[in-house]
Amino acid sequence: MFISLAIWLQNTGLFRALRESDHGYEILLALHVSAITMFAATVVMTDLRLLGWALRGHSIESVVNQLRWPKRIGFLCVATFGFLMFGMKAEEYYYNVFFRAKVVLFLLVAVHALIFRPGVYNRAAAPVGVKLAAACSLVLWLAIVCAGRGIGYIHAPVFSHHFALLIGR
Amino acid sequence: MFLENPLNVSAWTFPILEVLHISSFAITIGTVALVNFRLLGLGLREQSAGQLTKDTSTTTLISLSVALFSGLLLYSTDPDKFYLNVSFLFKITCLVLAILFHYTVYRKVVLAGSSAALGRLVAVISIALWGGVVFGGIFIEFVKPGLGFD
Repeated sequence: MFISLAIWLQNTGLFRALRESDHGYEILLALHVSAITMFAATVVMTDLRLLGWALRGHSIESVVNQLRWPKRIGFLCVATFGFLMFGMKAEEYYYNVFFRAKVVLFLLVAVHALIFRPGVYNRAAAPVGVKLAAACSLVLWLAIVCAGRGIGYIHAPVFSHHFALLIGR
Repeated sequence: MFLENPLNVSAWTFPILEVLHISSFAITIGTVALVNFRLLGLGLREQSAGQLTKDTSTTTLISLSVALFSGLLLYSTDPDKFYLNVSFLFKITCLVLAILFHYTVYRKVVLAGSSAALGRLVAVISIALWGGVVFGGIFIEFVKPGLGFD
């Protein structure tokens, strides 16, 4: 199911055109990484404040609230460039173990938000769990950087998978 | 006699250093970007750009040190590949200019709370230089080997 969706996606006009462009993938990658710098700063500064290692002159509430929208916009940019790269090679990505790990890690980010948003990020007072929330967040995003870089190290054996599928039928 | 670089013994060294390098330069450039966006009137408007620079400068400096150190180690794994790469040379030129600019003119202008126009000017220069570092770094893998003067 997912694989047919991936194949459909990468054959749409936009991604076909991107794939046929000269330096589309490289330019998107550079834009993706540039956006990551901005997003990373908002995440790290928030978490360092929660840990009490930076911005001690400002309250947790002020730091979290001020960085909330820059963080969202940063993530939107990162995700947009990331999705465009994914769409160009959706089929390869589908078989890429690091890409799969990255998808799982994003689900964990959602779980992190479900657990810690009500008690930590949306509350002015500093309850227990603040430092745990920050540490988990930093570890998750570092793991996502690892998985993201890992995607580029693997050239998925798309053709052998196709071969196996054909034989299977 | 040739000595083996210990970093080239394990296949894991390069990827691990690379992730460390990416994370640390992301924090470096990102914290500078927070100040740059403030200078352009975007983002964290509750404090002045000067205050924001003071707040983030330790994080910037620590992550810059990690990025430079991991970068030197990455370079040492295969120097020939890098210094004969036109994108790498572009990146290093931008990097040296970015660091020099950041700790001289930029710092002075931001901390002095100079006029908004001057602030915007140094922000644009800073974004261009740091952006050049990122683009140059990414394209190392994608340009033809050699200096491209053939």
